Amino acid sequence: MTNSVLEAIRTRRMARALTAEPVDRADLEELLKAARRAPSAGNRRLHRFVAIQDPLTLRLLRMVTPGMFQRPTAIVVICIDGGRAESFGMRPTAKGLYVDVGTTAQTVLLAAHSLGLGAGVVTSFSQAAVSAVLNLPEGWSPEMFICLGHAAPVQPAGMRPRGNVTWQTLTHWERFPAKE
Amino acid sequence: MVLSEDEALELLAFLVTAARTQVDEAAEYSSLRLLTAAGRLADAIVDRVSPDTRAFLTGPLKQAPDLAVRSADPAGYAASLDAVCRAVGQLLVDHFRLDRRAT
Repeated sequence: MTNSVLEAIRTRRMARALTAEPVDRADLEELLKAARRAPSAGNRRLHRFVAIQDPLTLRLLRMVTPGMFQRPTAIVVICIDGGRAESFGMRPTAKGLYVDVGTTAQTVLLAAHSLGLGAGVVTSFSQAAVSAVLNLPEGWSPEMFICLGHAAPVQPAGMRPRGNVTWQTLTHWERFPAKE
Repeated sequence: MVLSEDEALELLAFLVTAARTQVDEAAEYSSLRLLTAAGRLADAIVDRVSPDTRAFLTGPLKQAPDLAVRSADPAGYAASLDAVCRAVGQLLVDHFRLDRRAT
């Protein structure tokens, strides 16, 4: 069966080494259009995106992002608009806010893959430092970076060796049996 | 001087922000972050250091895997760090001429 969506899901990888080739503005805009189409609980749209291509800003963001191994030529920062969330009566710790960060990220990662771009997510950064570097509006919290560029031919080894993880090992069918 | 102010600031920012991110992250990331900091420092100074130091930076230090963590292979991880530490110890002995001092 040929299914381009399933094929994209199967072949997507996190890119932790990127070349210096810039990301086209048009491609970046396509990714932002995809982000706008990501699932959003209650269609509340509590997330905002900051797209960065300026080399100096990228450099400073990398300085305050210990988890950034790659040198991206573009970054999409997924932010939560805390003020807007509060207007819906949501606490800052409401899990839905963070679930939507994840669904947005996956949507953008697949879109990037479909355009032939390398992409990787990073959450190990100081939110306070990033907020200062980007001069984020009051109430916006940066939650995730999607680092973008063109994947280098050689990628660093992953954190862990690939084990025998299959969908079956991750799945339990139906109700768990009663305890004896 | 082997490190410019810009480069020193970059490393300083990394260390300070890593101290914060580590509060929330897996404990095993602490070694990873320190190695990343060492790698960034190495990248900054590699062209301006002595041949012996450069050999360490491009050799044993570079061989420490960027993304490895302890839980994947505890014994192997410790052994790989021991190898880097042995090499840095020997570099210190050579660089500071410890074994050539008059006794």
